Amino acid sequence: MTSVPKQFTPTRQVPKQGLAEKIRRAVPNNIPLEFGETKTDVDVRLKPEHLLEVVRVLKEHRDLAFDFLRNMAGVDMQEQGLHLKIHLYSFKHNHTVQLTVECPPEEDHPHVPSLTSLYRAADWHEREAAEMFGFIFDGHPNLKNLLLEEDLHIHPLLKAHPLQEPEILQGIEEGPPGFPF
Amino acid sequence: MTIWPEEAIVRHRGETEFDFDTVDMTVNVGPQHPATHGVFRMLLTVDGEVVVDCEPYIGYLHRGLEKLSENADYRQAMGWWDRTDYLAGLNCEGAWCMAVEKLAGIEVPERAEYIRVIMMELSRINSHFMFFGAFGADVGSFGTSFTYAWRERERIYDLFEEVAGDRMFPTYFRIGGVTMDLPENFEARCRWLLGSIRQGLEDLDGLLTGNEVFVERCRGLSPVTPEQAINWGLTGPLLRATGIPWDIRKVEPYSIYDRLKFEIPVGTQGDVFDRWMVRLAEAYQSTKIIEQCLDEMPKKGLVLNPNLPKTLRIDSGEVYFRTEGTKGEYSVYLMARGGNKPYRAKLRSPSFCNLSALREMVIGNYVADAIIILGSLDIVLGEVDK
Repeated sequence: MTSVPKQFTPTRQVPKQGLAEKIRRAVPNNIPLEFGETKTDVDVRLKPEHLLEVVRVLKEHRDLAFDFLRNMAGVDMQEQGLHLKIHLYSFKHNHTVQLTVECPPEEDHPHVPSLTSLYRAADWHEREAAEMFGFIFDGHPNLKNLLLEEDLHIHPLLKAHPLQEPEILQGIEEGPPGFPF
Repeated sequence: MTIWPEEAIVRHRGETEFDFDTVDMTVNVGPQHPATHGVFRMLLTVDGEVVVDCEPYIGYLHRGLEKLSENADYRQAMGWWDRTDYLAGLNCEGAWCMAVEKLAGIEVPERAEYIRVIMMELSRINSHFMFFGAFGADVGSFGTSFTYAWRERERIYDLFEEVAGDRMFPTYFRIGGVTMDLPENFEARCRWLLGSIRQGLEDLDGLLTGNEVFVERCRGLSPVTPEQAINWGLTGPLLRATGIPWDIRKVEPYSIYDRLKFEIPVGTQGDVFDRWMVRLAEAYQSTKIIEQCLDEMPKKGLVLNPNLPKTLRIDSGEVYFRTEGTKGEYSVYLMARGGNKPYRAKLRSPSFCNLSALREMVIGNYVADAIIILGSLDIVLGEVDK
């Protein structure tokens, strides 16, 4: 049972002081983490192979207790490879952290462990990220297209994808439907 | 001589219920169906009348909001965000504007903040009225709840038209303030409107909350515990119906919400009836917020920051700005890497996350109740499909 307070102490949407230290102390030392800040949250950069272990610690540690998966967003960083931004929130402590999963740039379809075993909410977020960017979430039970058509194997939110060429997408122009990558 | 094999013969379970061996049947609901509140399709597998599996299909309204936003100027993109939660366009505009302002460090004049809050709360009421009307129709009071709700919605839309020039998609907010000042008679009209809204809420309350058929159908239907709600990613009235007083306007206040006094209605069971009651109470609270804003807002002053750059360029930065949308946590993730366009814009839409828990909620219920459960989620497909 997660303990949820009856009253929340309001916090402004700025990075929480001391949260980075707590995370560094809670996560085992052999996992390399880099800390930064966005305008609203503490940012933790990590490699995909450590993701599941780190998130498990974040969820189960008493002082962190990140029990709520807020959001998941892929970003195509072009030469730096695909990044996955995960926002976790703790009802108990009312704080948010942003995890940046940095996938290796040489992989077109990087493998990332699925968080569905920890957060049921990750299901659709992962399906969306998979179809829009080409992530492969290992351990996801049902990784098929969600917003796009089921047989459409394109990744529209990649920067290489053209914005205004519907003819290519519809297969009206020469060549097979879909944009070749 | 028996016609049926032994195990298929009726097995007595209690006084009235009999169990036959049945074949599962697939029922397709939607995408063009009034009960799905838009272009949403779900594939129900039913055993008799009981749902044993449900697979939601979305994406019929996918317009590529995020891709379009990445290819438009920060100011141009706002028109797209209006059209996500089209029942409360101003809340979406507000979230986008505030996210960009946070990223660029732009100040908003105080009067504009009050105007924004008034308009956003009116939008929230508007969206909740849509829920009251449509949900009443789902439950079986076909026309009356719709008519009651639409009376107030038309009046709110009239006020929007007077203020911004448009009804559903006003594009009234600007980065750094709002387009233009309020019309002269706004305060008097708004106060009259609040009275009308309260009357409308009372009417709907009297029509449905005390109605025995309504209560019997909704009470105890698909109860959700707080732990389930958190794990499934539910936010907004669905989460508050389980008893957690989590409202981003209070918990992580933005704009001027920390100066306003209002309460967060919560439920106890997390069932469909609680969701209805929470929304009803929330609309009452919104009228209180608007009244306070009308009392406290500066009567004169700028409504748009005068020191805005001609072209808004943001060098770098990330922001995950969360607001309390009408359906739950409506957040905008923005990443800037130079230039006048966002490098990445992501919408965390509450309907999308709430809908992803639909399967767990409907399994084990009757088909007719599945429609009510879907209605109680209060989804907007523009927001689900982006």
